[in-house]
Amino acid sequence: MFRSDLPSPASVRPPTQLSRRSLLRGIGGGLVGATLLGATPLLSACGSDSSSGGGDAKELTFWNFYGPNPDGNPQSKWFVNLVDTWNKNNDVKIKLHYLPVTEYLGGTALQTAFSSGKGPDIFIISPGDFLRYYNGGVLTDLTPHLGADAISDFSDGVLDTRKVNDKVYGLPMEVEPLAMYYSVDAFEKAGLSEGDLPKTWDALLDVAGKLTNPKRFGVMFETAPGYYQNFTWYPFMWMGGASAIPENGKPGFNTEAVHKALGLWQDAVKSGAAPKKTKAEGGGNLPAHLGAGYCAMQQSGIWSVSQMETDAKNVKYGVFPLPVPAVGTYTTDMGGWAFVANAKGGNPKAAAKFIAWALGSTDADGVERMRQWNTVVKTNIPARTSVKDAATKAGAFEKPALKVFMEQVAPGGRGEPRYTPEVYKAISDAIQATMLNGANPAQAAADAAGKIDTFLKGYKGAPIL
Amino acid sequence: MTVVQRQSPGRTARPGDAPRSGPARGSLAGRRRREALAGYAFVAPDLLGLLVFVGLPMALALGVSLYEADGFGGYTFVGLDNFRLMASDDQLWQSLRVTGTYVVAFVPLCFVVSLGLALLVRDHFPGVSGVRAALFAPNVISLVVVGIVWQFLLIDKQGMLSNVLRPVGLGDVSFLGSPGLAMVTYILISVWFFMGYNMLILLGGLKDIPREYTEAAMIDGASSWQRFRHITWPMLRPTSFFVVVNSMVGAVTGLQAFDLVYVLTRGGPANSTSTVVFYIYQQAFGFNHYGYASALTTVVVAFLVVTTGIMFVATRGGRFHAE
Repeated sequence: MFRSDLPSPASVRPPTQLSRRSLLRGIGGGLVGATLLGATPLLSACGSDSSSGGGDAKELTFWNFYGPNPDGNPQSKWFVNLVDTWNKNNDVKIKLHYLPVTEYLGGTALQTAFSSGKGPDIFIISPGDFLRYYNGGVLTDLTPHLGADAISDFSDGVLDTRKVNDKVYGLPMEVEPLAMYYSVDAFEKAGLSEGDLPKTWDALLDVAGKLTNPKRFGVMFETAPGYYQNFTWYPFMWMGGASAIPENGKPGFNTEAVHKALGLWQDAVKSGAAPKKTKAEGGGNLPAHLGAGYCAMQQSGIWSVSQMETDAKNVKYGVFPLPVPAVGTYTTDMGGWAFVANAKGGNPKAAAKFIAWALGSTDADGVERMRQWNTVVKTNIPARTSVKDAATKAGAFEKPALKVFMEQVAPGGRGEPRYTPEVYKAISDAIQATMLNGANPAQAAADAAGKIDTFLKGYKGAPIL
Repeated sequence: MTVVQRQSPGRTARPGDAPRSGPARGSLAGRRRREALAGYAFVAPDLLGLLVFVGLPMALALGVSLYEADGFGGYTFVGLDNFRLMASDDQLWQSLRVTGTYVVAFVPLCFVVSLGLALLVRDHFPGVSGVRAALFAPNVISLVVVGIVWQFLLIDKQGMLSNVLRPVGLGDVSFLGSPGLAMVTYILISVWFFMGYNMLILLGGLKDIPREYTEAAMIDGASSWQRFRHITWPMLRPTSFFVVVNSMVGAVTGLQAFDLVYVLTRGGPANSTSTVVFYIYQQAFGFNHYGYASALTTVVVAFLVVTTGIMFVATRGGRFHAE
């Protein structure tokens, strides 16, 4: 069984709920004995804990994994410039706090900061983490600081997973669709051409087999359990019309489409065409795998275009959309990070204002700022129509790889879902069991569906999309 | 006339000792009190550190285990629900199986290898210091670095080990990507890391065994195995006991139970290396179930206290009958 019987953090809190500080105060005040016996509720009143938010702090911290990075890369510089520009014109100053990406995504720093009531005022999250923070009551409504023109400027569906009851709680910086990359050299050496690029799952396995040799895998999917692996697997689930949770009258996770999607990755590994373990850099790093000859085809996101430009300039590669099943419709997963403001921070209003200005300004400076981020210092699909138009006008999508992303990969794509950690974990276990432990896909899907259903019965948080 | 003082067992009369009667008794008591105070003063910094950094967090964890704590400052009292939940949490049982397998394999294997190495480097030979230092060397490196280096060596198809094994048809073996093999790899890397440390402790124990015993046995014609079986092994028991207890506690809650797992496999593939400590970490920092994670921690600590307690009682603190 999954750990979901207790009230989830998402549950609506009863009025008698205690704050962290009051709990500690109670324990520290000699109430430990009573607490342990459960006989005396800790009723010490909440103090003027800064974690309750709503203050007027003049300096706000902004945690991120871009800048100021000691190596001073262009993305880091963009963040530094963004904050400098804001600080020059505003009384409330923003202070960047950089964390290496591995620590930000896989470490405990962010969560520990919130647990101790010292969460950052501004931070960035992916849709996969949205519900954890929203249901924890720490996300600020950004809507009052966004004009109607700013909201309508965001492309269709981009804001969906950042909204609750039509209020926007996170503003996306980018859209990052997933596709397949291939090594031109590997194809040529195997006697394959562009015409052999696989369009179906069967063709993918067939071509991958031809590209596999003693020192190279034919195709690579993420192998490490985690949010990223789930993110990369979802498109295969969606293509057959399935969903992780029951929605729009459709059944939940235990469907034939899910069995097939689990089976695809299992077959790729079983046949020896796909690795059981990616390198330490992770499956989202193209230069470390495809660029280093570890595999001939690799699933990754649009960010890998800039990775290759920086770290594997001499490797010839191409991009093609994810292959589709025999019966199914093409789609892909469109990731991307968003700025959010801590509702319990020092000055949530100013933090929200900063985010709206940084990512939502519709004036020329605002559009140019986002064009720089999406197509100059990084490679993304812009989340806003005006930025996309400006970038297109500037010729940003004329590079072959980006052209494929714009014209073939992104159309038909779907926003990264915002599943709760419990739903994510159930799916992750199913992927891992089938891909790497030879489990029967139908059985693994049934097990996961059972866990998800149990969890959903007690779930009271924001809608899971 | 010589005054012969009656001594308490185990104590030898010293020139400065005062008679145990009359006014001198007071000064002896005072001296003992001062010695006791000095002893406590020496122990105090450690005791304080243990209380603040171990005792207090344990008490707080016990308190938090009775709450549903969401990680954002909200606490809801749920009594013993977090403890009740464990019985039906199959992922917890899976992680306990992983930890159990690891302990059962790692502790004896590491002990045997360490003891073997200690016996090898016990006697002097040219370069023995260098060999001892080389065997201990992994311990000076962070386990995170160790994990990264081994991950690099074990890359599928392209890693050093795959290249070495390719001629014998094992170039496609995935040491960290196959569930069964990942656990074996994890155990072997742990043994490689800790064997030098345990070797040094056992070496200290071996050096404490008087050579006269061995020499006498040799004169009597005892074989190497007989000398080990009847002299070395019994006299090494207290040291062995320490090594085994230390290894067991480390295997359940030590750095290798988290750091190495996190870097090498993230608990995968298919939860095959998800130890109980890694599971607790996931519950706390992955799912924001801080109350449940605290309850799990409390149970694991209680289990270790009881287990080591039983071992101490059964072996009289590692002295056994030989003492």
